[in-house]
Amino acid sequence: MSRPDPLKVLTVCGVGMGSSLMLRMTAEDVLKRMEVPAKVEATDVSSARGMQADVIIGQGMHTEAFEGRAPVVVGISNFMDKDGLQQQLTEAFEAQGWLEPQP
Amino acid sequence: MSELLEEAVLVGRARRPAGGWRDAIRVACDPLVEREAVSEHYPQRCIEMVEEHGPYIVLAPGIALAHARPEDGALRLAVAATTLTEPVAFGHEDNDPVDLVFAFGSPDRDQHVGLLSALATALLGGLADRLRAAEDDEALQAALAEVGDGG
Repeated sequence: MSRPDPLKVLTVCGVGMGSSLMLRMTAEDVLKRMEVPAKVEATDVSSARGMQADVIIGQGMHTEAFEGRAPVVVGISNFMDKDGLQQQLTEAFEAQGWLEPQP
Repeated sequence: MSELLEEAVLVGRARRPAGGWRDAIRVACDPLVEREAVSEHYPQRCIEMVEEHGPYIVLAPGIALAHARPEDGALRLAVAATTLTEPVAFGHEDNDPVDLVFAFGSPDRDQHVGLLSALATALLGGLADRLRAAEDDEALQAALAEVGDGG
């Protein structure tokens, strides 16, 4: 499957304006490092249920509910751990074939 | 620095006791209530957010960011940082125990983006250690000031 360009990424948390925003900044930075064009939006868990996305990132306690609802769902616990997020995204993107040269 | 950041309330408290995570959230919100940056029922709403959605506000090891919605009584753009004498457990699988609690409030859903962005940048730059090292309110307040300068 070819990678959507840009990737639509949601960062989620309970209210959609605290930790999801922090996570959005981390995710934007990591995706830039990976040279993957992406549009990252922070939102709350209940709004996210009604939204389409290619990637969903949040704390594990929130992302469990999204398994299977987006091609890539990543649960993290430390928003400051950019290397950890990059590793998780790299593995998940590889599994999708998103890191191969795009047509 | 943006005008909004300039007007934001930034307040710090060092080494306060707290009996459990609910009390830690109240203690962290106290300076915002005192400054009338949030209403008196705002701390309780912050606690209810965790009761409803889980301890997701513990966003890195030892660090919690307590907040509620604008309509829950956030009157001014504000952030408070409080270090605890004894760490408390929030029930977070990976990031417990917590010894640094931020409380923030934003009167609308857009204003806070610059402030939280500055806070995230400062945290990634080692702000948490500088706040933890502060022995009194004055020192903590001085360390926190970089958030307002760095926007």
